[in-house]
Order: sequence, then structure tokens, then C-alpha cells
Amino acid sequence: MLRVSNLKAAYGKIEALHGISFHVDKGEIVTLIGANGAGKSTALKALMRLPPPESPVVTGGDIAFDGVSILDMPAHRVVSDIRMTLAPEGRRIFGNLTVMENLQLASWSRKGENTDKEIRRIFDLFPRLAERARQRSDTLSGGEQQMLAVGRALMTECSVLLLDEPSMGLAPLIMYDMFRTLKKLNAEGLTIIVVEQNARLALQVADRGYVLDTGEIVAEGLAEELLHKPEIKAAYLGG
Amino acid sequence: MRRYAINILLCAAALALVGLAQADMLDKYVLTVITFMGINCIFAVSLNLVNGYMGEFSCGHGGFMCVGAYVGSLLSVAFFTDSKLFGAPLFAPELAPFLFPLVLLGASLAAALAGLLVALPSFHTRDDYLAIITIAANYIIISIVENIDAIGGPRGFSGMKKAVNAMSDFADCPWMLIWTLIGVAVCVMTVYRLMTSTYGKGVSAVCQNEVAAEIMGVDTNRVKIMAFMVSSGLGGLAGALYAHVYGYVNAQSFNLLKSTEGLVMVYLGGMGSISGVLMAAVAFTLLVEALRFVIPWLNDGLHALSLLPAGYELSQIWKWVIIPLTLILLMQFRPEGFLGNRELTQVFPRLKRWITLK
Repeated sequence: MLRVSNLKAAYGKIEALHGISFHVDKGEIVTLIGANGAGKSTALKALMRLPPPESPVVTGGDIAFDGVSILDMPAHRVVSDIRMTLAPEGRRIFGNLTVMENLQLASWSRKGENTDKEIRRIFDLFPRLAERARQRSDTLSGGEQQMLAVGRALMTECSVLLLDEPSMGLAPLIMYDMFRTLKKLNAEGLTIIVVEQNARLALQVADRGYVLDTGEIVAEGLAEELLHKPEIKAAYLGG
Repeated sequence: MRRYAINILLCAAALALVGLAQADMLDKYVLTVITFMGINCIFAVSLNLVNGYMGEFSCGHGGFMCVGAYVGSLLSVAFFTDSKLFGAPLFAPELAPFLFPLVLLGASLAAALAGLLVALPSFHTRDDYLAIITIAANYIIISIVENIDAIGGPRGFSGMKKAVNAMSDFADCPWMLIWTLIGVAVCVMTVYRLMTSTYGKGVSAVCQNEVAAEIMGVDTNRVKIMAFMVSSGLGGLAGALYAHVYGYVNAQSFNLLKSTEGLVMVYLGGMGSISGVLMAAVAFTLLVEALRFVIPWLNDGLHALSLLPAGYELSQIWKWVIIPLTLILLMQFRPEGFLGNRELTQVFPRLKRWITLK
């Protein structure tokens, strides 16, 4: 469904991705793991077609969705046409709006339709958000903010969800909860690409994984296999 | 019915104002000040769309007012008067009261177009850069106008008074007050309706976080340009009204000082609050006018107490010391302005029962 071929991306003159290739099939959970600065987030930003300077410029290769290149699309069209969106690193929720307003804003691409049903679905998924619906979202705890970021992304009715470090700053219990919810969404048909520092957790949930190192893919395979590869274990899973 | 109480009250107040002016019960000076209050309201509420709701920093709103003022003046001179520039009037002067909205519309469209020209190249940048670009645009617009000799260049342009007189010949009413009041209503409704629409949500999203807005599917570039065009268009409306109230325009009336006045009103009222900015526009106009009287008093008082050297007189220039000083004090003690980003109906929720804005 999503095919990235020989993708090169750069911030200004500094090339961050030196030609990576990977693919994601419908209904999969795929994880990109790797150390800091390996280019995981860069890959997601490039996939989302976010504008520079915060995001990289694609200098070579291609990103194709169902065989059609999306390189010429701006991010908002990736959201509205491809139905792919991102729950970004650091959450980027709208801090001075309430939880409810955040979710309503996210239905922007569906101009004016009634969104009560979708919001109820998000609240079923994350009951904590329902309790805090009228609260300013910058007063939420880190875990709740992450739930809101994911919930907000789901409000765009995406079929592909990209997640950048969903476990960042979360207590282990909440982190497991978050991944359980992702697994559940996946079972309902959502395709997920997740970038994670916590490689062990990500590989336990994912179907397949790619290991990035300084802008190149150094290993790939079924998540199960990667979990047990000795060199991966040594480098990324802490022995 | 109750839901329309405040709406009806406001309409009644506007009608009463027009009635008073009609019956010559208002001093000409008071009438002019009230009209300028209205123009300042339009100017500030439109600027608030960009600087308040969208969180950008436009410093050149005066430039768009200038475009509106000149285009509006030229249109009404061409439409209704016999002039050297355009020759015979395009329409019978009796039609002036009916076609004047066209003049205002034309002025707004021209200003919106100028807004588009500024927005297209500059909206790839944000924050300080946009501020600098808009200041530059303000200067460019004024220089262009000052260098077109056909419309008076630095001498300014006049002749619109004849169009206003044509309206008065048709029916003896305080026409400019009426148009200004309608302009304020149109401006407030436009900004309010825009901000409560889906587009408005996009504007708030852009203000909060552009990347997040983009991944919510908001076409941030389009939203920004659209908001900027509406804002500059309404600024142009204020300009056209201003030109017709004075009967004379000069590009220097719309220089950076004018733009700064707009900024003062927006920050005084509260960024992103229509009611706050309206209050600020009224208060600011009153303050500027009040200083006309206060400064001479102050001068006499200080001389009486011999706190000023005998040869020195406080002139009206001190207005531009006192007003910025007020702003500094305001930023020190109430940086969010009168209402912050809340509307009057949010500060006093009970008001909601009495007003309908849909």
C-alpha cells in the first residue's frame, strides 16, 4: 500500500536519510527503531510531507501510496486524500483549547459535519479524556496529552496512523495501555507505522520492523525475528 | 425575543444616534468623533483577525487602509462627480446614496487584493519576519501613492466631498454616520461569523501550532491568506469611510503611526476578542480626543505651579508621549488587555441569553 523507495531527505545541506526503502501493507503495524539521530522521525515527517524548515526536503527517491507518488502533495492533502496522519513527537496538542475543542478542531477536513459520534468513539477508547473533556488540554498529564494527540489524529478518520515516540515520557503502565489501544485499533483495520525508542515494546506489538542507523536501514524482518537476532539484541534491546 | 434584546438595543442606539444627528442635536465635533470611533472600530477589529486570532504580527494595516481610502475616493469621484481626472460622472449624482455601497465594496476588494499581494510572498515566513515585511509593505504603498501625480501625489487627493454632498442633496441625513455604523456592523458580523465557522477553527489551529494544524488536514497557507485578505479588505473599508468623512486624503495619514494605532487598540482590547477590541477602539478614540483638552490644562496647571520653564509650552505632540506611555503601563499591569482572548459574553455568561449573533 505504502512504498518508500530509495528515499533521500535533507535538512538544508545535511542529508539525514541516505536512500531508505521500506513498505507497509494494509492492516499492518510496522515499526521503525533505531538510536537517537538515526532518522526515524525524519522518515515520518517526510512521509507526512510536512513543510521545511522543521521537516526535511526530499532530495531523491519516491514515496508512493497505492502506486501513486505523493511527493507533490502538501501535508493537508495527505491527510484529506490519502487519509494518513501523524501523532507527532511532543504531542503538539492545542494547549489553550479544551480537550473537546481539540477533537472538534481535528475534524476540520470534514467541514461542518456532525462529529458527536466520532468524539464518542474517542472517549470510549480513552475514557480518561471523557472525564477531562472541558479541561484545558495543557493542564492534562503527559499520558493524557498523548491520548489526546492520538485521539485527535483519529478524528481525521485516517486509515494510516503514524506515531512518533508515543511512549515518550510515559510511565510503564500507561505506556502498555497505549500500545494495547493501538493493537486494538489495528485489529479494527487501522494501519500503523510507529517510531519508537523503546524497541522491545514496539517489536512486541508490531508485525514487522526496520532498524535504522544513521540514515540507512541496517536490518529488517518480522518483528518476532528481529526480537531474537543477537546483533539487534545487543545494539538496541539492551542484551 | 429575549435572545435578541441586545441586538435590538444596539440597533435602537444606532437609530437614536442617527436621529439625534438628523435633528442637529449633536455638535458637529461630537458627531465627527463618534464617526471616527466607528472607523477605528472597523480598523481594529479587522486587524485583530490577523494579530489576535491568527497570532501573526502584521504591522502594516495602515497601508491597506490607504489603498481603501484612495480607491474609494477615486471610485466615488468617478461615479458621482464632474472632475478633471475622470470627466463627467458615470452615474447621475442622485444615485449616490444607492451606489455608495459599491464604492465601499470596490475599496474593500482593492485592499483585499493588496493584502493578497503582500501575503503571497510573505507567508512562508512568520513572526518577526512577517512584521518586517508588513512594515515594508506599508512604506511601499505610501510611496507608490505619493509618486502618482495624477491622484495628487504628496499633495493628497480631494473631491469626495462632492459625492457626499450629492447624497445630502438627495436626502438631508448624516450619511457618513449611517455608512460608518453599517460598516461597523458588517465588519463585526464578518469577523464573528468567520471565526465561528470551520474556517475560523482553521485560523485558531494555525495560531496554535502550524504543523499540528497541517496534520489535522488544515490547508494552512490557504487559511492564512484568506484571513489576511479579509482583514486587509475590512481595513480598506475603514479607509474608504475615513476618506469620505474628511473629504480629503493624504498618504501620510496612513503611515506607520496609523498602523501603530491599530496595534495599540488590538492589544488594549485583548487579542482575539471582538468585544474587547471594540471597547478599546472607543476608549482609544476618546483618549486621543480628550488629550486635546487635557494637554492645555496640564500646560496651564504646570505653569501655574511653575514646574515648567517659562518659555516652554506643552504642545499636542505630547499626545505621542502619553499614549505610548499608557500602552507601556498597560503591558506592565494588564498584559492581556481589557478582556484577554475572551469575549464579553464569556466574562459575563449571563449576557449570552440576551444576544444572538448568528
